[in-house]
Amino acid sequence: MRSKRKLKNVLVIILLTILCIIFLIPLFLMILTSLKSMPEIMASKFVLFPEKALFSNYIEAMQRGNWLGYFGNSFFVTALTVLISLILNSMAGYGFARIPFRGRNTLFFFALTGMMVPTQVTMIPVFINLKSFPLVGGNDLFGNGGTGMINTYAGLILPYIAGAFGVFLCRQFYMNFPASLDDAAKIDGCSRLTAYFRIYLPLSKPILATLAVLKASQTWNDYMWPLIMINNDEKMTIQVAVISKFVTEVNTQWNLLMAATAMIILPLLILFLFTQKYFVEGIVTTGMKG
Amino acid sequence: MTAIRKKKHSKIGNEPIGYFFIAPFYLFFFFMVLIPIFTGIMQSFTNYDLYQTNDFVGLANYKQLLKDPVFLQAIGNTLFYSLLYIVPTMAIGLLLALLMSKESGGYKIFRTGFYLPYIISMVCASTIWLWIFDPTAGVLNQMLRAVGLPTSDWLKDPNLAMGCVVFVSIWKNLGYCMLIYLSGIKGIPNYLYEAAQIDGASKVKQFWYITVPMLQPTTFFLFITSCISSFNVFEQVNVLTNGGPLNTTTTIVHQIYLRGFTQFKMGYASAMSVVLLIMVCIITLINFKFGNQGTDTDIG
Repeated sequence: MRSKRKLKNVLVIILLTILCIIFLIPLFLMILTSLKSMPEIMASKFVLFPEKALFSNYIEAMQRGNWLGYFGNSFFVTALTVLISLILNSMAGYGFARIPFRGRNTLFFFALTGMMVPTQVTMIPVFINLKSFPLVGGNDLFGNGGTGMINTYAGLILPYIAGAFGVFLCRQFYMNFPASLDDAAKIDGCSRLTAYFRIYLPLSKPILATLAVLKASQTWNDYMWPLIMINNDEKMTIQVAVISKFVTEVNTQWNLLMAATAMIILPLLILFLFTQKYFVEGIVTTGMKG
Repeated sequence: MTAIRKKKHSKIGNEPIGYFFIAPFYLFFFFMVLIPIFTGIMQSFTNYDLYQTNDFVGLANYKQLLKDPVFLQAIGNTLFYSLLYIVPTMAIGLLLALLMSKESGGYKIFRTGFYLPYIISMVCASTIWLWIFDPTAGVLNQMLRAVGLPTSDWLKDPNLAMGCVVFVSIWKNLGYCMLIYLSGIKGIPNYLYEAAQIDGASKVKQFWYITVPMLQPTTFFLFITSCISSFNVFEQVNVLTNGGPLNTTTTIVHQIYLRGFTQFKMGYASAMSVVLLIMVCIITLINFKFGNQGTDTDIG
């Protein structure tokens, strides 16, 4: 009985290994192709490994346009989005979870409803709002005349930090604290502000780490919003750049495209491998809402 | 009555400092999420073009929508995509999760492996598959040629293009589905299976009478979120096929993007957004109506 079970386990592991390898073939092929020469890729007969690994493809790809700038833009936008989101969301989450005030449930209900509405639905009005933002980018007081926040970092970041799911995540986390904690703080003469900064915030590391990795991957990976908001080379982010610099060419240089793709994936892959616990936790907790 | 209410209030308390905590977030949320939902609906009754005209045109945009063959096709394509995507993703995700839940030791590495495509961006996933599907340089046709099978122009063939788009989406999102199912399976108490074993229930019976009903809330949740994300499919379409060939892969959001941001017909694109909003609302209502049923399942 026992050996039969063991055999079954081994079979499952073998099956999973095979499935997993098949599943990840596209990623292996991406790396291999990024190291090949174009004649090798176009050859009628498929060769798995490049005759000589051309690491120079990576350098060549990064010279197609200002990739240092694109990476810089993506890093900057991602970092700022994460930072601001952490502050706004943990504060709001704490407020909704621990402090009684009039209209709290109604306000939270609106936040929850807003979370259900996908950004794709509101992308046109949000774009128009940002374009006609008063007194920005050559606009007058009524938002006419200029380009507003088009082609600005603010135009990219504002919609990112307005998402409500971080508030939901933090609220769930703060709700789990015992009520006696608040009572004890009150007896000790601790105001809500002090309680938040001295008691709750120091205990929030796991939830803030979860929120940070989720927000970072979301922002780093976003394509639609920068596509709409940015139309100059200077403020372009990587996801848009990889398409506009390589894919829309007449003859796509597949080796360079794969090299650029690998470079874009790499920072997130590193983040993921080091913070996998938080990634998984975040997915599962936000997944298990309702 | 008033006395009671007063007492109740003072008991629950009202601390205005609460507004201070939620205000910074709510300010952004109000202007970037809540208000746009309503302004979007208002704009759908105008002919706003981002520069000059901005007149009220009544239902003209909606009347035009009903006669727009490409948009009607886009709705059909979006629903077709949803159907092709949701069922296989959830079925395979559940199967993988079941395989992994049995294995105790080193399953984490498989979890990471299957989850890997989910963390990369849809753009990167699409560029990789763009190469794989390429008729001359792509590995798929090269393999088919090597074994003497007929090749295809995958993304340019009206019969195949949507299938390819769906395939890429499944590949990328399977790990998410698996992860959610995995945590659902972990939440099923072990004594249910032990009791079933004592009663002599077979493995198949245990699956159908314990695992499936206990996973009902998970399945429902995945169904709802998959529906909403399928209705919003855009990035893979824009990168892989750009809506072609013959509009067989264009979707609602892709149409909104084309009309709004390449032709600047903001009023018309807003009307499309309202259609999308209604579709999402229907799914959300289903969620509110049936969403909590599974959690009441009596496991005692």
